[in-house]
Amino acid sequence: MSRYPLYVILSISLIICLFSCSPKNRIDGCIHYRLNANPTTLDPALIVDMPGGLIAAKLFNGLVRLNADLTVIPDIAEKWEIRESGTAYIFHLRKGVLFSNNREVNADDIKYSFKRVLDRSGMSPNAWVLNKIQGARDFASGKTADVSGIVVKDRHTVILRLDEPFSPFLNLLTMTAAYVVPREEVERWGADFGTHPAGTGPFVLTEWKHNSRLVLARNPHYFDGSAGSAGLVFRIIPEDLTAVTEFELGNLDVVNLPAGEYSRYRNSAKWKPYVASVSGLNTYYLGLNCSRRPFSDKKLRQAVASAIDRKKILDTFYEGRGRLARGPVPDIIRSWDDLSAVDYDPGKAERIIKEQGASRMRVNLYISADQEIVDIAEIIQSYLKKAGLDVTIQQLEWSAYKEALNRGEADMFWISWWADYPDPENFLFPLFHSSNHGASGNRTRYSNREVDRLIEAGQRTMDPVIRKRSYERAEQIIVEESPWVSFWHKTEYTVRQPSLKNYRTYPIYSMDKGMDVY
Amino acid sequence: MKLYIAKRLLLLLPLLTGITLITFLLTKALPGDPVYGLVGERSSPEIIEKIRKEMGADKGIIRQYAGYVSLLAGGELGRSYYTNRKVSEDILDKFPNTLRLAIGAMILSVPAGIALGLLSALRKDSVTDRLISGVTISFLSVPVFWSGLILMLIASLWLRLVPPSGTGDIRYMILPCVTLALPSLATVARVTRAGVLGVYRMPYVRTARAKGLTKARITALHITRNALIPVITIIGLDFAGYLNGAVLTETIFGWDGIGRFTMEGIMKRDYPVIMGCIITGTTVFVLVNIIMDIAYHVVDPRVRLHAKDR
Repeated sequence: MSRYPLYVILSISLIICLFSCSPKNRIDGCIHYRLNANPTTLDPALIVDMPGGLIAAKLFNGLVRLNADLTVIPDIAEKWEIRESGTAYIFHLRKGVLFSNNREVNADDIKYSFKRVLDRSGMSPNAWVLNKIQGARDFASGKTADVSGIVVKDRHTVILRLDEPFSPFLNLLTMTAAYVVPREEVERWGADFGTHPAGTGPFVLTEWKHNSRLVLARNPHYFDGSAGSAGLVFRIIPEDLTAVTEFELGNLDVVNLPAGEYSRYRNSAKWKPYVASVSGLNTYYLGLNCSRRPFSDKKLRQAVASAIDRKKILDTFYEGRGRLARGPVPDIIRSWDDLSAVDYDPGKAERIIKEQGASRMRVNLYISADQEIVDIAEIIQSYLKKAGLDVTIQQLEWSAYKEALNRGEADMFWISWWADYPDPENFLFPLFHSSNHGASGNRTRYSNREVDRLIEAGQRTMDPVIRKRSYERAEQIIVEESPWVSFWHKTEYTVRQPSLKNYRTYPIYSMDKGMDVY
Repeated sequence: MKLYIAKRLLLLLPLLTGITLITFLLTKALPGDPVYGLVGERSSPEIIEKIRKEMGADKGIIRQYAGYVSLLAGGELGRSYYTNRKVSEDILDKFPNTLRLAIGAMILSVPAGIALGLLSALRKDSVTDRLISGVTISFLSVPVFWSGLILMLIASLWLRLVPPSGTGDIRYMILPCVTLALPSLATVARVTRAGVLGVYRMPYVRTARAKGLTKARITALHITRNALIPVITIIGLDFAGYLNGAVLTETIFGWDGIGRFTMEGIMKRDYPVIMGCIITGTTVFVLVNIIMDIAYHVVDPRVRLHAKDR
């Protein structure tokens, strides 16, 4: 009997303990987002991952940035002039733009930041962003000590000279690698600058618990107004269902809808008004290795393109979460629309495969380890089986998958390409130009001199009509020759809390500076 | 005992050398190259070669291993290819989190497991026994990614008692600890039951009963203590396993521990991280085993720990 009071006390303590717990996990006044992985670095010269780029956009600025309608607008540069037939860009910097250490940005900072990306000892994988600048390649290879094309005219004017006109050059300058960094902070932190970033952005990093969360506080000295919220919190939650639970508990203000939750939120009366979408600047495709048999044969590639009912897969399996692709260039940046895409024609596919003597030929399809991709691969496999090709699916973990693709080991592979900047050139040059075989982007190892010539012509002209004509023709040839079977341009869906105001989504993650939302 | 511990610790050195060599060769034999994760989607072959050279990947495998061993000899584990952070610092950051989770899971699973096992054995073939068997078998059979999500659904979303994810105070530990504890509890309960039933038939128990000792005294002093040897083995294995990280549990609950860190290292082929985690894991396993050996000795003095006996 004497033990009963002890049990009662223990039980009551346990109940009090449990009920004093709360599922809340928020910082007041901050907007809470989810990242599915820890950013690898926040050093703009080294960032190649999405989480890193997304955070860096809030901490840094470039000379120019992208507007919501995908046009280039001033950022640290308040205006610019393009001279000498598109080979000289004169940027006039805003006065009073401060780094987070309260020092004013000047033209030397632009030169320092760009040279840092190009410097051969810096190991930046992003040197390609700036290598159109005159003398950049020589500097990067150690032949010269300076980049001749970056000229500091005065404290607030910098001139960038190019070897030849490059029409998307301003777009390149909106990228993370072209953000401006303060020399003294880079030198102070050395290799650890990536974890102690200092920029000019609307927010400053106040806390980074690796694999747990990043906290950004509003920068009171930001040159372009004050952010709507006191801060941003990025919680690192690898598991989709955990993120959705956090959202439902109000611990996250906005969450990207995972495929498995899409229908539930879209059909929920409570959440439907708060589901937002953005037409992504991306293309999901089935790549065909043009450098070896059997897909060095154009007719067999065309047969594969005809054999698969992409629209049906998009509408059923993919639940319509995208727009059907007519070619590699996403619809929202394509200014031409009379592209004759390949239609589903299983009879034609079967006939061609028979004619080419490839019936029951065994081909491999490389995919990365992801359940949604496995399902898509199996659908493709069944379509191609009907057409006469026996597909073996080879599933590899991401690192091994990329290595296999870059080496040209796969007959077919499933992958997507997401825009670095909103220009058709970004979907043509890296992916189809013959100088980019392998790791540079052209993983189908497609080569066509006419396509090369047209892409280069588009890059070199500042005349929008000639550019359009060149890119249109190049894309038409690519669709006809089918080194890719372009499937769809994925639409991204997010759901937000009703209390969140001024929230909007962007087709390129680095466009969101987190200014308006509160 | 001191000599025994010293000898076991000394043996750690050749063991670690062997483990590092095998792990090094195995990770290098894996398909995949960390450089592709570092360069993004469009990079020139020159940059790739440059970075590979910087990482030392252009050298022969023996030279690479020798370089790594000399790094270890200097007391370093190297820097992550991706974050450029010191692996040793990251491990020191994350290990306390994993330790908290492992201790929490053990606090929940061991007493409850032993109690359930005892109860089950003492009431052999009763309804209680069958009920406990059913529950423990289901705890063993259910995968943690499922039980974790179900617990999250009930305790966080429906009852709103605890946060579903994150690394922090005791509120954040409840769900991952319970998830980890369930299979552990089940194993401990089943092994305890088997152990007790085995000891129950021993002559010394009959003698104790004949001496007129109470059932409680026989159970506590003569049965439980002797039945605990295999239970200690199980506890040791589970605990050492948890200290090496519980990948799924840590991922589901966003817990910043060694398991998630190791897994991310493996996925990205971040060799310094993989090696650092394996070395830490091996050391932890050996240390836990030494502690378990000492525990055997405490529970059963017949177990000798003199170095010469080994």
